Amino acid sequence: MSSIPKKNKSLMASAGRILLSGVLAVCPVANMAATGSDSPQNVLDPTQLSLEDLMNLQVTSVSKRTQKVGDAAAAVFVITQEDIRRSGATSIPDALRMAPGLEVARIDENKWAIGSRGFNGRFDNKLLVLIDGRSVYTPLFSGVYWNVQDVVLEDVDRIEVIRGPGATLWGANAVDGVINIITKSAKATQGGLVTAEAGSEERTAESVRYGSKIGNNTYYRVYGKYFDWYPSIDVTGATASDGWHALRSGFRVDSNATTANSFTIQGDIYHDNFGETVTVPSLTSPRFSSTYPNNGYNSGGDLLGRWNHSFARSSTSLQMYYDRTNIADPTVFGDHESVYDIDFQHDIHLGEAQELVWGLGYRSIQDSNGSSFTVALLPDHRNLNQYSAFLQDEVSLLDNRIHITVGSKFEHNPFTGFEFEPNVRVLGTLTKQQSVWAAVSRAVRTPALTEEGLQLNAGIIPPAMPPLNSPLPVIEAIFGSPLFRSEDLLAYEVGYRVQATGSFSLDVAAFYNDYTNLRSAEPGAPILAGSPFPSYVVLPFVASNKMSGGTYGVEPFAEWKVLPRWKVSGSYSFLRMNIRKNADSLDPTPDIPNGASPRNQFYFRSSLDLPKHLEQDLIVRYVDQLPSLSIPSYYSLDLHVGWKPISQLQLSFGGEDLLNSRHLEFIPEFINTLPTEVRRTFYGGIAWTF
Amino acid sequence: MPIIVPRDKAIMRVLRPIIAMGICLSLALGASAQTLDSSDSSEYLIKAGFIYNFAKLVGWPQGAFAQPDSPIVIGILGTDPFGGIIDRILADKQIDARRFVIKRLKWGMDLKGCDILFIGSSEAAHLEEVIHALKGLPILTIGETPGFARRGCIINLVVEDNKVRFEVNLDAAKQADLNISSRLLALARIIPQSAAETR
Repeated sequence: MSSIPKKNKSLMASAGRILLSGVLAVCPVANMAATGSDSPQNVLDPTQLSLEDLMNLQVTSVSKRTQKVGDAAAAVFVITQEDIRRSGATSIPDALRMAPGLEVARIDENKWAIGSRGFNGRFDNKLLVLIDGRSVYTPLFSGVYWNVQDVVLEDVDRIEVIRGPGATLWGANAVDGVINIITKSAKATQGGLVTAEAGSEERTAESVRYGSKIGNNTYYRVYGKYFDWYPSIDVTGATASDGWHALRSGFRVDSNATTANSFTIQGDIYHDNFGETVTVPSLTSPRFSSTYPNNGYNSGGDLLGRWNHSFARSSTSLQMYYDRTNIADPTVFGDHESVYDIDFQHDIHLGEAQELVWGLGYRSIQDSNGSSFTVALLPDHRNLNQYSAFLQDEVSLLDNRIHITVGSKFEHNPFTGFEFEPNVRVLGTLTKQQSVWAAVSRAVRTPALTEEGLQLNAGIIPPAMPPLNSPLPVIEAIFGSPLFRSEDLLAYEVGYRVQATGSFSLDVAAFYNDYTNLRSAEPGAPILAGSPFPSYVVLPFVASNKMSGGTYGVEPFAEWKVLPRWKVSGSYSFLRMNIRKNADSLDPTPDIPNGASPRNQFYFRSSLDLPKHLEQDLIVRYVDQLPSLSIPSYYSLDLHVGWKPISQLQLSFGGEDLLNSRHLEFIPEFINTLPTEVRRTFYGGIAWTF
Repeated sequence: MPIIVPRDKAIMRVLRPIIAMGICLSLALGASAQTLDSSDSSEYLIKAGFIYNFAKLVGWPQGAFAQPDSPIVIGILGTDPFGGIIDRILADKQIDARRFVIKRLKWGMDLKGCDILFIGSSEAAHLEEVIHALKGLPILTIGETPGFARRGCIINLVVEDNKVRFEVNLDAAKQADLNISSRLLALARIIPQSAAETR
């Protein structure tokens, strides 16, 4: 909820990447906490660094520096602007494939399943995503409409991926991870940028951005972006109906009015048209289902303002935003959602070794929706009010070698009332180059609107079919329930980081997650339905909390600067899920999340700087099979070449999935849309700055 | 504090090798590693590092220093953003035989004894007067305020995307008779002197 702290955490995270980038030593986060203290073993000696090294260091301003310590003991990975450019990523989900511990699978051209540490799905509800401090987690189904989240990728400063719970700072639903997409300040995007791309998958993509200055300390940028993606192919090789095109525009203004005050105002507006092939149950014989291409559109916009103020020993931040999302799907489901959010945060330094952060938040959500035979939500209009507060204290002990963070979030939501999400984190500096951390945290995933009032007709059993042999068709329907409670997680995490030499670093995180009250679907009494005469039977499966279990895993990431111009990095993500239905569960469906996330994933990347301003990147990925979806494992090879013949011009060429002509990555749950295949693609692009 | 609750033996199977590996690495590296120091990414720590590097890469004219071991005098004019950082960083450093002396100065005081003058943002209103007062003297002026290089400061530090960059005004360097090494220039953004603002 509190979206302000994440901004501060961001700085912490970028420090995390410094560590990985090999410029600095192992434990920047710990050392940032040490700033202000004169303890010599913790302080960088900048005179030992060359100008080039100094130019690569991240600066964090005094007031912000001390705010980001709190969440330092966490599994953080930062995707930088350079990573995005060099990987050839054309969308946010594409860029997220490089983060260890995440599962990214494309369902069709405009749908993704993205999860962290398991429970992957199109409607994954345990991952919180923020763009510049604005939550894009929809209260409708507790998940993310990935197809309406976009930015000009060249304007992204970094994407921070925090695996594990972040609920104490970010609130409910930051259960298995938090993704922070952070764009550059308007000051950093001065001047013009025009980009154009085309490829075998991306028919065309263009963006235009212009930034300038108003007055002495105020900067702005405006942008427009358009893309159009070809439809993909289905498993038979036939052209699918999943084409997609979108237009988006927005602005950002940043002002440092005085040294103590800074303001940000930003906004976006978008519209897209998407296609899909959907299969829905129908009561007409003989097929009792219908499959057809479905075209819809999404539109929306957002407006955000933030005011930061610093005092001598403390700082405050006040943020407000409005976010509107319209989903217009003519045959399945339509939804209009407005979110108003206000957050306040206050950071106080209590002496050299202690920092206190507290905050308050309020969010109002207005949702109205239009139902179909397939999906109905009652009531069709809802207002939700959520209140939250958090308090977190960080103490440094033993000459800043140990940092202990203790805090909790307290929130109130209309479904389950009060929730609290405490955590304890400890970070220890072993030597200058090594640190270890450990954390225990609780997080909750609060119910979504659909889990209270949904009726989703998911499947149909035609008359006289086993096992029921019913004379009437039987609709298997998923129902929400007002009795559905929050899902709970107790997470245990440990991590180790080492800067082994100036050129090699390693970061390992391991976790054990203990889930209770996970969602199951309990069968209810059959209902005769139809008018004027009963013509079908509805067999309800009602949302309940009768699933639990544990997941564990380990995620090492290493980076090695083999030569000044050649860097290799790699990660391995191991995940084991052991989720079971409780003994009292009657849920007969085979739906268990265990087999829908890959057990093993590898990522390897080689980044080479060649003479004449050429850069070349090679990425190899391995994603394990998804047994419950019958998706086989796959390897993929991506190649990207960038060339900057003059400083204003950047050219890029590449190919993705070069090893496979095509493969399927996921099969969606709940709404039966046709998954399409990811193909071998080639693309080229040009970016011109002026 | 119980970091891992071994409710599942399998988790220990996973963690045990990692912990073992961690310990081995600690032992192996603890002894050998000493290359790059640990980090404090404070802006002024980094800027102090820049100033030290500039001192190494700028050539003062003959006669700027009385003796081969005369100290390099760094003046900080106006509000001091460094606190004690720069004193601490440069306390035991020397370039050739020259040590560093740091002085805090206010506008109106004699600036001529400096070899490097860091001009704080507080002096923005009368920067031209400061520059004028130093005219012809071999003093490396360093600012950290947008527009300072254009207004006659030789080097200006700017923070972009959370990283420190610097601008160099070559005309101003020439007037001060300072020789700026090509290594420094290769990394700099060269800023022309604004004709309108030259006095």
